[in-house]
Amino acid sequence: MGDAIVGVVANPLSGRDIRRLVTQASVFPTAEKANMIQRMLTALAAVGVHRVLLGTDLGGISAAVFRAIERRQGAGGRWPEVEFLDGQPIRQTAQDTVDAVRRMVTAGAQVIVCLGGDGTARVTASAAGDVPMLALSTGTNNTFPAVREATIAGLAAGLVATGTVPADGVTARAKLLEARVGDRAETALIDVAVSTERHVGSRAVWDPATLTQLFCAFAEPDAIGLSSILGQLSPVARHEPHGVTARISPGAARSVLAPIAPGLVVPVGVSEIERMRPGSVYPIDARAGVIAVDGERELTFEPGQRPTVRLRADGPRCLDVPAVLAASARLGLLRRTRDGPRGRSPSSSED
Amino acid sequence: MTDTVERKALTREQLLSAYRMMRAIREFEERVHAEFATGEIPGFVHLYAGEEASAVGVCSNLDGRDTIASTHRGHGHCIAKGVDVSEMMAEIYGRQTGSCHGKGGSMHIADLSKGMLGANGIVGGGPPLICGTALAAKLKGTGGVSVAFFGDGASNQGTTLESMNLASVWNLPAIFVAENNGYAETTSSTWSVASDNIADRAAGFGMPGVIVDGFDFFAVHEAASEAIARARAGGGPTLLEMKFTRYFGHFEGDQQTYRAGEVEHARAELDCLTRFAARVTETGELTRSDLDAADAEVAATIDRAVDEAKAAPLPTEADLLTDVYVRY
Repeated sequence: MGDAIVGVVANPLSGRDIRRLVTQASVFPTAEKANMIQRMLTALAAVGVHRVLLGTDLGGISAAVFRAIERRQGAGGRWPEVEFLDGQPIRQTAQDTVDAVRRMVTAGAQVIVCLGGDGTARVTASAAGDVPMLALSTGTNNTFPAVREATIAGLAAGLVATGTVPADGVTARAKLLEARVGDRAETALIDVAVSTERHVGSRAVWDPATLTQLFCAFAEPDAIGLSSILGQLSPVARHEPHGVTARISPGAARSVLAPIAPGLVVPVGVSEIERMRPGSVYPIDARAGVIAVDGERELTFEPGQRPTVRLRADGPRCLDVPAVLAASARLGLLRRTRDGPRGRSPSSSED
Repeated sequence: MTDTVERKALTREQLLSAYRMMRAIREFEERVHAEFATGEIPGFVHLYAGEEASAVGVCSNLDGRDTIASTHRGHGHCIAKGVDVSEMMAEIYGRQTGSCHGKGGSMHIADLSKGMLGANGIVGGGPPLICGTALAAKLKGTGGVSVAFFGDGASNQGTTLESMNLASVWNLPAIFVAENNGYAETTSSTWSVASDNIADRAAGFGMPGVIVDGFDFFAVHEAASEAIARARAGGGPTLLEMKFTRYFGHFEGDQQTYRAGEVEHARAELDCLTRFAARVTETGELTRSDLDAADAEVAATIDRAVDEAKAAPLPTEADLLTDVYVRY
């Protein structure tokens, strides 16, 4: 077996948008993102990962990890060798995440961990190919990435990257929504919403009065974000093959009280709820407006462009952290005796 | 439920006015850049080109009740708050007809009648001033809001941090706009700002902190409108961090050996005027001829301002002792 490699990418801008101002959404400082990566490094080392590829940024996350590594020299604690994916221009846009994830895939990473919100997970998924990804929340809407302790995520990522826990049993392929306007396309992991606003502006969507249509790959009853609108009316689980779509209008006969953003619970009028079949193309009816993917305004469209949305089954492979650690418990992988590891597949956890 | 402002689309007039204002700042700065090279302008100038969306996106939400404090890079803020460009140009040329009778120059342009408290040669000098005007507005119940623009360098100054603390403690209608153009003179903010994101510091003062694409008028306008409405309604201060790049050096004459390529990239890919024009013509909210007409009108205004400034008289010896004291 080759060297176990884990890729880690963190979005320096996640958790800082206008929702801090309009809905008291949670704050995720750079320092905490860097701390999470350091806790993850400790866990990865503990289960035998020797090499970590870390995306670089100008937001200070990779720099803080770099300084931490320098300070640790001579301190004794063991961390994997961290290779900083630099040498490429940093644009301070989502393209930085795409570039880093592509390099991780090329370098043979067995697991890619991303730190960010739903937007970061979406961008990571678009570049991760078949490599299992683990999305950790440091963003605003936490529907796709889990709010989870980074140490635990590091253990799970490490157990899978080293092959100690086989990836097949603990990963599942997510669904994907593809929104298309002419030759421009964007993917979403959770929802695509159509807004009558004209500009991308500050990206976030927090006024339901501007929405006309909603498409969800899945809609969980306990979701935060736009998918919560259908999560209470017509829930769809992540593992089910279909999705769900509906029209949104303030005048609809039926409305639902939905937490469409952290700190924002509003009545939303809903009509014509319909199951989305995988592969089928659904038209967007509004003449002009903005399409939001996973809660962020991204694509604008003008009269005559006739945008569409399609549900795809070929989303990213997602790592199920509880399943990995349950397998570890079952196999005794983290048990130790005074003489060393006792698990059934110990080869990868020794130097 | 939330008490955010109702999301109204900007009218044609508002869009045209925003474009005209951003264009005026760009044209003003490019003209000063050219004129400064001739040696006719005394003192220093620090140009705002590239950052127009910040000044205009914020100030287009303000009215006569509101005040702003600016920086050494203040021309854009002055124009966006309505200071007369001819008086500004005359001030830069040190003429009697200038906003401050030619005694201040670029770094001290002020016009209290417009709520413009002044450009400021002291880094971090603006934030304490707006705590004063915001407190006055609060005590008098005018509904006025005060805005301090400051740079990434000033974000490390005690005055700025103390002002944010005071604004929060007194729950002032104050907006702190950190214009992070990446460099304090020649020092990179990625090196000098310990929290990396200036917006991160807001949490320590118990106020919201938001990062905004400072090249995008619509993003700035949205964030500022929410922050200002919140402040007017008694919701307290907000910190907005604009991320962008200045197109010229720190001051005119700066060789800029500390950076390479980013200005070209920003001008080609991110420019606020180019993006704004592309966007509003795509939606049909404005036409190319609307924008061309605004360009022509602005160019004529700036030409006139330069001609008038050059023709205006310098202050005389007799002016030396005027305006030294102000009676309140």
